[in-house]
Parts: sequence; C-alpha cells; structure tokens
Amino acid sequence: MDKIGVYLCEGCGIGEALDLDGLSKVATGEMKSSLCRRHGAFCSQEGMQLILQDIEKEGIEAVVLAACSPRVLTEVFQFPDKVVLERVNLREQVIWGLPGGDEDTQMMAEDYLRMGVVRVQKSQPLEPYQAEVEKSVLVVGGGFSGMTAALEAAKAGYPVTLVEKQQELGGWMAKQWKRYPVHKPYRDLEEVDLETLVSQVKAHPGIRLLCSTEISSIQGAPGMFQVSVKGAAGEESFKVGSIVQATGWKPFDPNRLSHLGYGVSADVVTNLELEERAAREGKVTRPSDQSAPSSVVFIQCAGSRDPSHLPYCSSVCCMVSLKQALYLKEQDPSTAVYIVYKDMRTPGQYEEFYRKLQKQGCVFLKGEVASVSGNGSGKLMVEVDDLLTGERLSLEGDLVVLATGMVPSMALDTDMAGPPEGAAASPEAQTQPEATSAADRQKEGMVLYLEYRQGPELPKLRYGMPDSHFICFPYETRRTGIYAAGCVRQPMDTLGAEEDGRGAALKAIQCVEMTARGEAVHPRAGDRSYPEFFMQRCTQCKRCTEECPFGAINEDEKANPLPNPTRCRRCSICMGSCPERIISFKDYSVDMIGSMIKAIEVPEEEEEKPRVVVLACENDAYPALDMLGQCRLKWNPYVRVIPVRCLGSLNLIWVADALSKGIDGVLLLGCKHGDDYQCHMVKGSELAQYRLSKVSETLDRLALESDRVRLEQVEIRDYTRIPSIVESFLERIQEIGPNPYKGF
Amino acid sequence: MEARTPFLEVSEAIVASGAETLYWCMQCGLCTGSCPWRLVPGHISQSFNIRKVQRLGQLGLEGFESEEVIYACSTCAQCVVRCPRQVKIIDNVRGMRSMLASVGTVPGSYRPVIGSLHSHGNPWSGERGKRTEWMKGLEVPVFAEGTEYLLFVCCTSCYDVRSQKIARSVVQLLGKAGVSFGVIGEEESCCGESVRKIGDEELFQKLAQGNIALFQSKGVKKIITTSPHCLFTFSKEYPELGGEFEVIHHSQILSRLVKEGKLKPSKSSSRKIAYHDPCYLGRHNEVFQDPRDLLQAVADGQFQELDRIRSNSLCCGGGGGRIWMETAPGERFGDLRVEEALAKGAQALATACPYCVVMLEASTKTMGKEEELPILDISEVLLESI
Repeated sequence: MDKIGVYLCEGCGIGEALDLDGLSKVATGEMKSSLCRRHGAFCSQEGMQLILQDIEKEGIEAVVLAACSPRVLTEVFQFPDKVVLERVNLREQVIWGLPGGDEDTQMMAEDYLRMGVVRVQKSQPLEPYQAEVEKSVLVVGGGFSGMTAALEAAKAGYPVTLVEKQQELGGWMAKQWKRYPVHKPYRDLEEVDLETLVSQVKAHPGIRLLCSTEISSIQGAPGMFQVSVKGAAGEESFKVGSIVQATGWKPFDPNRLSHLGYGVSADVVTNLELEERAAREGKVTRPSDQSAPSSVVFIQCAGSRDPSHLPYCSSVCCMVSLKQALYLKEQDPSTAVYIVYKDMRTPGQYEEFYRKLQKQGCVFLKGEVASVSGNGSGKLMVEVDDLLTGERLSLEGDLVVLATGMVPSMALDTDMAGPPEGAAASPEAQTQPEATSAADRQKEGMVLYLEYRQGPELPKLRYGMPDSHFICFPYETRRTGIYAAGCVRQPMDTLGAEEDGRGAALKAIQCVEMTARGEAVHPRAGDRSYPEFFMQRCTQCKRCTEECPFGAINEDEKANPLPNPTRCRRCSICMGSCPERIISFKDYSVDMIGSMIKAIEVPEEEEEKPRVVVLACENDAYPALDMLGQCRLKWNPYVRVIPVRCLGSLNLIWVADALSKGIDGVLLLGCKHGDDYQCHMVKGSELAQYRLSKVSETLDRLALESDRVRLEQVEIRDYTRIPSIVESFLERIQEIGPNPYKGF
Repeated sequence: MEARTPFLEVSEAIVASGAETLYWCMQCGLCTGSCPWRLVPGHISQSFNIRKVQRLGQLGLEGFESEEVIYACSTCAQCVVRCPRQVKIIDNVRGMRSMLASVGTVPGSYRPVIGSLHSHGNPWSGERGKRTEWMKGLEVPVFAEGTEYLLFVCCTSCYDVRSQKIARSVVQLLGKAGVSFGVIGEEESCCGESVRKIGDEELFQKLAQGNIALFQSKGVKKIITTSPHCLFTFSKEYPELGGEFEVIHHSQILSRLVKEGKLKPSKSSSRKIAYHDPCYLGRHNEVFQDPRDLLQAVADGQFQELDRIRSNSLCCGGGGGRIWMETAPGERFGDLRVEEALAKGAQALATACPYCVVMLEASTKTMGKEEELPILDISEVLLESI
C-alpha cells in the first residue's frame, strides 16, 4: 500500500492530551504518508465524509485512523473493500490510562502511529477465497436431536440428508414409555409422541432419509464435503456443505455395578431396562415373576459421580427415576417407593415434579448404599447409610432400580475412569470382551470416518465427549463445519436435545452461507483473509499440519501441506508454527508484526526509558487492556501493545526482532490453557508457551537473559490485574538491566 | 451399626393423624436453625431437632417419642413462617403427638391437665364452680340476648391469681368504653387449643363441640378473647367443626376504642415500656400493629421496640403444652427475653397473652428481676393510664 492517509482524531480528549502537530510530523515526515488530516470527530458524518473524499479524490488506498479502540464504532468506520483500514488506539490505550501533555505519553502515541502506518504498508487488500459451495446439510443420527436438526434445516430451505444406523428413526426416545413433564404445570406424565416428528421428517421433500445406513468416509471441507455411505440401499456418495453429528448416547455398562446388586437377581434392573419393559407391557412388573412390585428401591447415581466409574452427572436420571416412581404410584398408590440419592437434581420447573412425588409419599433418602442382597425369599434388601437420620437403614424391595448414566456415543472404554469390576461381574459380562471382535472394537466410537490428517473423528475431551466449547459456543467442535448436537456432546434431556438440534441446524446453515461468501465461521466470523503458503520454501516439517487445532491442513505423501481454506478458522497458529515463515495472510504476517516491532523507537540507555513489547491476544487480553483505559486505571508508559489474532500465531522470530532492536522485554498475554481452556483457538496460548520453552536457544544466541520474555494467562475480567503484571515484569527487567543491544 | 427398617405404615398413621404435609419436608433444616431451642443450652436443646423429628416421622422410625423430643416443641411457628416448602410443621408435630396419644403414650405431666379438662373443663384443676371467682367485686354483665360480644376469659385468667388481673382489667376497660359485652361463666369450657397441640384430639373435639353448642344456644355471634390461644382455635379450628364466630382479641378492640376516643389514656406513663409479641397473637394470627398502637398511645414516646419482634419474635416457651412442663432455669426462652428487654433499658415489659405473662414472670422471679422489670398485660398498662 503506497497511498496512505493518516487521520488524527481530536475528539474524546485526544486533542488536549497529545501534541497532534508532533504526530502529524511523524505521519507525513518520518513515515512518508501521503497526507495527514485532523478533525474533531471522525466518527461524525462530516469526519467520515472527509476520509471518503480522500479515498475517492486523492486515491487513498489505506486509512490509518488514530482515534478510539478498533473494538468500538466498527459499524461507523466502514470503507470500500479495496481500502485497508488500520485503527490506532490512542483513546483507550494511550490517553485514558496515561497523563496528558506528558513526554512519555506522546512517545507512546507516536510509536503507535508508526506501527499503524507500517501495518498498512505491509497489508494487501483482501481477496476472499471463494469456491463453489454446496448448500446442503448432512445430519448423522436420527434420534430426537438429529430429527429436529434435519427438519429445522429443511424448513429453512436447505436440503438435508439424514443418515441413521438403525432401521427406524427415533433413537432412545422412541423406547420411552412416557415422558416426564415438559409443559406446565410440570406435574403430570406426558405421552412421548415421537410419531408426529417422525412423519414430518419422512414427509418433508427437503429431507432424504437413509436408514440402516452408516458413513464409510467423509472427504473435503465445509461447502464441499464428499460423503460416502453404505447401507441397506447399497453404497453411494454425495456432496454436502456442512454436517450435524447427533449420534446420541449409550447406557453406562451396568455390569460394572455388581456392588449395587446388578447380576445378584433378575429383579435388580437399570432405569433403561425398567423403561423398555414398562413400554412393552404397559405397566411395571418384576422380571422374575411378572408380578407388580409392592416396594421398589431406586438407587440414584448408580456408577455416576463416582471417580471409579462415570465421574460426571448425567443430569436426567433424577427426573427419570421420579417419572418411574410415578408409574408405580399411579399403578398402585400403596407401593412403597424409596429413592436413595446423592443430590436430587431437578432444575428449574422440574422441581414441581419432585415436589409432587414427595407429596405422594415417596421416601427420599440422602445417603450411600452399603449393600444390595437377596433375602432368600424373593425380596431384595438394600442397606443404606442415611445421612439425615445418621443411621443405617434396611430397605426391603421387590425391585431395585439402578439409575445409570449416559455415555456419549463416541466414548471408548478407555475414555472412562476405572477398570470394569471383571471378577465380580456376571458370567456373561466376563465373556463379553472376547465376543467382541477386533474389527468391532476398532469401530467402537467411530461415526464420521473423516479423511483428515489429524484423525477420523471429532476430537474429544475427557469422558469421550466431542470438544464443543460447551460454555461459550455450544455445538462448535474442533472440526469446522461439523457441529455436535444432543447427548453426544453432553448428557441432556429431551428438551435439551430438541434445542440442540435447532441450534446445530442454524450453525450448519450459517457455515454454508459464510463459506460461500469466503468468510470464516466462528470465532473470527466474517474474516475474509486466509492463509497462503509460499511452497517453494516449505521443508515438509509437518509442524503446520500437526499444530492446526482444527485439522484444516492435510498432507500429501511427501508431507507437503495441503490447505483447506474453508476448514480454516484464521487463527494463524500455522503462521506461528512455521520455522520457514512461509505462511501468511494478506493482512497479517510474520514480516508485518516484525516490522511493527522494528518501527518502535527505542531511547538510548542513558534516557532510562525502557521499552517492553506486549503481544496481546485479541480475544481476551486486548479487550481487557481497553477496559483498563475505560476504567481510567493508570498503567505503564513504557509498554507497546500489539494485538495478535491468537497467541498461537506467535512466531519466535518476533522475540528475536524485539530483542535485537534493543527492546528490553517481551510480555505475552494469552488465554487460560489446560483442560478448562479459554483459548478461542483451543490450543493457541498452550502452543505459545511450548514455543517459548524453545526461545532460550534464540536468547542464548543473542547472549540475553531468558527472563526478558514472559507469558501470562489473563482472562477478560483480569483487567485490574494487568497493571501489576506489567509492573512486576518491568521490575524484573530493571533487575536484569537494560538490553545491551540498544543503539545497534 | 445395626440397620433399622423404616415402617411406612407408621408414617402413614402419622399423616392420618393430622401431619398432612409430613412428606412435603425436603429436610433442608431451616426449621431446626430457626428453632428457639438453638438459643438455649441444655438437654432439650441437644435432643430436640425438628428437622430430624420429621425425618423419623417420614420413615416411621422410633426415636421421637420422648418428652425432650416431640414434646419440646412450643408450637411458636418461627419455623413455619420460614419453611421454604410451606410445610405445616406444627400440624406435623401435632400429628405425631396425636398418633402417640392414640396408643396411650402421654407425658406424665400432662395427666393432671387432661384429667382436669375431662372433669372440670379447664386445665388448671380448678372447680367448674369457681370459674367466675375472678369477677369478685366487679360488676360483670352476663351475656344475654342482644349483647354484642361474648367476653371469653381464658381458663388461666379464671383460675390463676396473677392472671385474673388481666380479665379484670379487660372488663373494666370495656365497661368504661360502653361496649356491649357479657360473660357466660361456669358453663364454658377450655377452648381446647393447647390440649389439641399435645395430641389429645378426642378431648379437643369434646371441648370444642361443647363450647360451640353453648355459644350457639346463647346466640353468640362475636367473641372477644383474653388469650391469643383462644383467638387461634376459635377463628382457625372451630369453623371446621361448625362454629363460625367473629373473633377478636382484646388488644384489637382496645386499640380500636382508643382510636375512636372511647377510651382516653390521660396519665402518660413515665417509664420505658417494651412489647413482647406473643406467638399466637403475632405469627399465628398476624396481629402485630394493634398492641403497638395501644402502647404508643399510652407510653407517649417511651415505647421501646425489642430486637426480635413481629414475625421474628422470640417465643416465651409456654405454647404447645410447654406451660405445663418443667423447663430448667437457664434453659427458658423467657430468660433471654427478659435479658433483651433489660438490655434495651425497658422498665416494664408488656405483652398480650396470659401464657406469656406466666412464663416471663417465672423468668423475672428466678432471675431476681421482678422489681426491675414488671411483666404486664397490655390491658393492665392501658387501665393504669386511665
């Protein structure tokens, strides 16, 4: 970009706090911009007009707007696509946190202006990646979530292919006898009524239904997935734009629960076994003699919330047991019903249902089951250590029901904690592993068969659930264009599954539409840049293909990276990973950030004005810095902040660039990483940390102290903590002393 | 640890005895935390846990039957007004006591009370013929056709010498104000409120039905009670048995008479006077303001609010049959109340319930504070000033 216009805003106190003549001189003199204008408020109609006129009449190709934070007024500062815009943050990050009319404040503003101009000098106008996009959706799994997703997407006008492994639609929900209340007053059993949805799905002209069918492979990328299936109707292959995986759950294996009496008697059943039996017979009976039980003991959290079995809560078992208790009370009000629980979890309106069962005289016992045994005369004895009386109680039951939890369909045995209680289990259970063939075992948990360099399925978190950003961005997975919905991503009830189906359908639609426009989907939604590879210099080191958190890059047999731009989330972690620095974006590159660092003026040692470069993650750290200014918290005038797309885009050369320039230290502000990571790009700050462990080589080469580089994890709410983070870093720098490279 | 077996038949019997909301309890324990027994030391405090009592009831397990457990509850309703599940905890206690009574287990100290009620119609072993002795020397009109109000004097104020003063004060004040009222006298029986709380449902039914028939035969439409306990049972329990009357407590009508100018307090009290909300007037019947209006009219700026007032008032310890049971000094709620009033600089403690007067005076006596803090009924305070 040659024709650069610099626009210095005088508004919001910038004019009073800074010497704008000085800044003007930097812009047109030192930085050789084509022109520099000032205005009281560029966000006004008049101010914007001024810039637009320059673009039209003066041929300005790049606008450097030195005013407020790039995070505000984005709807106002809109320019034609061909114009590169850079916003220099003089308001939030300079004058709001530092004294006006001060030499150091002015130096900071001038540096930011230099960096802004350099940034646009190194930028190119964006040319979005546009390919022919197939605007259709594949839904895998025909349970309640999947059917809802399929129907919603089809209703919105997007052709859907629904693939179901079983012969019939409906999944687990179809096996329920009745549904617990999901309508007010939340007290009465409801009919399952899945037929309406099934017939709507079957009748919708936009839905192609493939039952008794499984995926055999998926190639390609969002907008252009090539799906191969095989099933009852033979094999076929077709294109889709995006995918919803709604493959649901499987029951926790009760054979691990011999300590709760499973296998002791036919009358110890799981909640699922009771449900299926009741649905079949239209009433609750004992498996041993088909009689109606006169006393029933429900054992909640059977294997759940137990570190040696299923460590999490499946969230529905309390309501399921209450439902089944009501089957019994409606069948015969004199049936004695005991529910032994750890905590009754009946959130929201479901409390009404809990209350109903309490009022019906169900006995709720908070405590631990000590033993389950037969009493020799056809009854079962359950001994419970009851917390609320502090005593051991002995309960007699005709039937014992184990409320077992939900395991995501993708989970493998190895995803769960603890080995099965092999020795104590029933004979059938012992022989089971042998009965499973090696091929079957290999297939366990397999659904999508993606032909991706990083593996055939969605990456999983603990317990085998696909990583679906469960707090901030439900349905998102680490595979662009593939959305997880329903119990495969988290245990939930039918209401949750329905909502998930709708949500994931919307994400799938959003994906094909944005992909067609050449835009990134979540989290850099709308970004039209994409990584370009200068292949002549590629050394086939595989770092980019391995480190991409989203599996965007495949490899050919010679280990050359094969980018899939529509899978890309534009995090630029690949850019940070590449030792040859051959990966760059039109508006973000290794050279660009390096040049910005080099544009910082470093005062002579005797001036005693240290300089620290802060590379701040755009998602959390940079907004936190803005908040610092918004709260008028004072901070240090010696730091120079550069926002980065993700700390994972950190290329080690930047550290070398900064230190060889005489900058005293580099502070990296990234997101929390680990199991409960907050990084929008999943692994970015973790990778930065890992790369930093290698930085000592670079520092050794320069004969510098490794303490000059530090990474801190900050959350957006940590803004009050940032000044002290900076101060402590500067104190350490002070101890080490000035960078000896100053003035070189 | 030996395992015990729940007996749901027992818990069903408790529910059938009046503990209709027993199963509503979710065992949060707010009741136990709110209970005034937590404020005092001693064996009862350590034994009585209303949350656990209800738990045992739900499971039909033994362990709640003894005097220091199920009979510790003074039915003050502090837990009831706070229960997040609207459990009728007092009804649950009553149901459990009633279930015990039906199998013949009643604490020894209740035997003379029950005997006296059967033979004399009052719990204080006073002869029926002496029910009107409190009137000696006073012109007390007899309830007759055309009389507006029946003045129903609590058995305690009929027989207890100290308490008789309350009845006498009320009569004098109503007379001065020209209220049309009269008493029935010997034919009346105890209202039955407390005996129902101790679990003798049969006796309560007998007393209540007797009174209802008596009142109806005399043509009673409106009743003034001298005790909030009578107020409670007449207004909340008699209607179910067919006794519909308009019932008010004397503090309510006296407050009205002062507001209407029919009673004019002239001598303003020079002493600082505090008010103790009786549980049955306050929490049970929600009469909070009338006694305060009355005291403010009399005490002329010297009225002193205590800390635990209105729906958070501290029980005197005399309800639910506790008035007939012994509570060791130092473990009595009344002691705390007396200390509280003294700490606030009160020179007299007014209340509006004969039980409260008995219990609070028992405390001032054992504490040696009789002179320092006289316990007065609100009618006595008013009469003094006229």
